Amino acid sequence: MSTTTSKTTAERIRAILVKDYKLDPAHLTPDARLADLGVDSLGMAELMFNIEDEFGLELSADPTHITSFGDVVHFINALIADKSAASAMPAHATYAVANSSMGSAMGAPLAP
Amino acid sequence: MRRVAITGIGLVCPLGHSASEVYAAARAGRSAIQRLNFPGSQRLTAPLAATVQFDAALHFEPQQQRLLDRVSHFAVVAADRAFADANCELTAAERTRAGVFLGTGMGGSQSLDDGYQTLYGEQSNRIKPMLVLQGMYNAPAAWIGIKHGLLGANLTYSTACSSSSVALGEAWLRIAHGMLDVAIAGGSEAPLSLGSLKAWEAMHTLASVDSADPSASCKPFSKNRSGMVLGEGAAIVVLEPWERAVARGAAIHGELLGYGLTTDTGHITRPSVAGQAAAIIAALSSAGISAEDVDSINAHGTGTQANDSVETAAIKQVFGARASRIPISATKAMHGHLLGATGALEFVLSLLALKNATALPTMHLQVPDPECDLDYVANTARAGAAGGIMLSNSFAFGGTNAVLALRAAGV
Repeated sequence: MSTTTSKTTAERIRAILVKDYKLDPAHLTPDARLADLGVDSLGMAELMFNIEDEFGLELSADPTHITSFGDVVHFINALIADKSAASAMPAHATYAVANSSMGSAMGAPLAP
Repeated sequence: MRRVAITGIGLVCPLGHSASEVYAAARAGRSAIQRLNFPGSQRLTAPLAATVQFDAALHFEPQQQRLLDRVSHFAVVAADRAFADANCELTAAERTRAGVFLGTGMGGSQSLDDGYQTLYGEQSNRIKPMLVLQGMYNAPAAWIGIKHGLLGANLTYSTACSSSSVALGEAWLRIAHGMLDVAIAGGSEAPLSLGSLKAWEAMHTLASVDSADPSASCKPFSKNRSGMVLGEGAAIVVLEPWERAVARGAAIHGELLGYGLTTDTGHITRPSVAGQAAAIIAALSSAGISAEDVDSINAHGTGTQANDSVETAAIKQVFGARASRIPISATKAMHGHLLGATGALEFVLSLLALKNATALPTMHLQVPDPECDLDYVANTARAGAAGGIMLSNSFAFGGTNAVLALRAAGV
């Protein structure tokens, strides 16, 4: 995957996070844990929804471990690569939520 | 049985955002009912409601703002205001004996309406991931509990138009019987989506527009009444044992004396004189008082033909010849019908009326109705007319009749 693609993906995801969470873009480094920035489990679900819209992807609900901003970027880049490499096959992606009330209460499992 | 003090008031109301503001508007007879003007409102036969001026961005971080429906925004802010008014800091141990009791008739109906628009209107499968959490009926109570760390019972009551009177009554029961030491109790409602308004319109229960003065469209107990007008908002109080409130030096607003609850089983919407009268009698019994002790009443007074005549008959049945000498206020003419939050708002207005020894006016009572022939404090507040003990009536679709008895502190 090209640096250009990666950078563009990162910028697009960063823009979503800056808009929805009023985050300082400088804090969105590859190692930055999203939970530490206030993006909890529900926020992650919302982020994935908005990423689907932004990138025209459809993510399945099976879990995978994503905790950092870099994880999200790599995850989406991989999906984009899969989609373009095998356009005959639909992209399947998985994601899991990072744990982080009104803060910590939002980090509770997504279960009734 | 412990006496139950009311030590905090929190309002998010069409008439204002503080007890003093809301009371002043109600005393002046100012109506918050107005013509609606939003995309789609032209599809309403009578585009009327009492809306709240409210900017959620002033109260919530962006993610919380998106995660909570308007009904929860109202509830959380009203609870914050009630807590602040009560000046009530709870210890970790006290939080285990503190709970939330909230009424809502329609929950997060705006969010659900938006979701249905996406699914059916736009034929899109892109339902937002927070819709369940926005729409669920217990969300407003849950968010209050989360924000304030209240670890006791967290209960939501949905009995249509009596929801928040039931919530207050059930909270009173638990405090009075020693099961809890602090209760945040009241109601919240945000029912002004196009879908909800159309559904109420289809029931033929909503008022037609008074073309001369749209703000006067709700006319309780007036012969020319044509129905109710929906409103939105939240009213929440802090309840605690009287002795606890005195011990901590709280400014006590008043006392919740008792609660009567009965159910009509004759019809899903048609009110019953017997059921309403029984609820009033149950409230008197619960408070340990007699009909002679009641000095004034806040009526359910919706402005529908059926409610107002039946409620009048029920009051006559309980109070007999004395009924015509009891001041009766129907404040929905000003703040609209807040459905699941209306009982709590009217309870607070009753408390404020008692504190100010003033009977609030029943506005827009223009034409006397032989079937509504009691003293409704027509069109002008009456100073010196109220005091002592007051009842606040709430009667609901589904047949749940709830009546609260209260008095002001030191009056």
